Amino acid sequence: MNTTKATIVLLVEDDPGDQKLIKNALADQDQDVTNEFHVANSGEEALEYLLRSKIGDEQSPWPNLILLDLNMPGMGGREFLKRMKADDDFRAIPVIVLTVSDSEVDIQECYRLNVAGYVQKLASPEEFQTVVKKLAKYWSANSAAVKC
Amino acid sequence: MDTFKAAVILLVEDDPGDQKLIKTSLFNEKIINEVHIANSGEEALKYLQHSKNFDVEAPMPDLILLDLNMPGMGGKEFLRQIKADDEIGTIPVVILTTSESDKDIIESYKLQAAGYIRKPMSLEELQNVMLNLSEFWFVICKRVQPRNKYKHETKRCFVSGC
Repeated sequence: MNTTKATIVLLVEDDPGDQKLIKNALADQDQDVTNEFHVANSGEEALEYLLRSKIGDEQSPWPNLILLDLNMPGMGGREFLKRMKADDDFRAIPVIVLTVSDSEVDIQECYRLNVAGYVQKLASPEEFQTVVKKLAKYWSANSAAVKC
Repeated sequence: MDTFKAAVILLVEDDPGDQKLIKTSLFNEKIINEVHIANSGEEALKYLQHSKNFDVEAPMPDLILLDLNMPGMGGKEFLRQIKADDEIGTIPVVILTTSESDKDIIESYKLQAAGYIRKPMSLEELQNVMLNLSEFWFVICKRVQPRNKYKHETKRCFVSGC
């Protein structure tokens, strides 16, 4: 029984090409799913988004899922991840990291910080887009998430 | 892109009917899921203790599927305890339950569950869910390599004299 699910995704990604790629992949779903997404260009922007969300800003609805690029300048993905996991409310939002790295140390560190998934950005945009579609399929159809 | 993968799943579930159903639904052609079953939180903790001690009968799981509604220790307490452990705390845990309660979902995510699935009613739906799950966790997602895999590889190396 397919019920319409709306997943609010916060995409934390600085590269405009990747932003577009991920948005398109998430938008193209065969199920009855509407993904609403918001984009933050950096760790700082993402934290600001979450803070606005906490105080009930309508333009910044509480995300059900965060897709986080680790390879960003400035605050960076890891620092953002650490900070949100330190917050009692934010830590309940599942985070899937997207990164070029397949280093064991990096993977281990992310799981220590309790990510809900670690996905390697593949060299070919088409392959990566396929991966994002499968990821979206899993999350929208399988994993329940709630607005806190 | 279809490759065969072998994955070790620890299913923590007390109902024998559900155990069978879930085990069956995890069987698929693309991914070889090796399913170990614990009937309770306490049993699961014992299993993981054996895993830590390199027990061949209890390989470290790649993924834990956890039913929240169990007697005794209960799912949430089990989750709390394993997340407090440095070694096994990095194993992703997906909650599998019939509970519709939003409170349960939020609490589970606060305890750092990596996913929450409401058990569907039919076997067919469950099979779809498990196929999606297997594909995400064992094809798409990168995880920390469980220790026992390294051990087996070392053994193989020794045997072939390399």
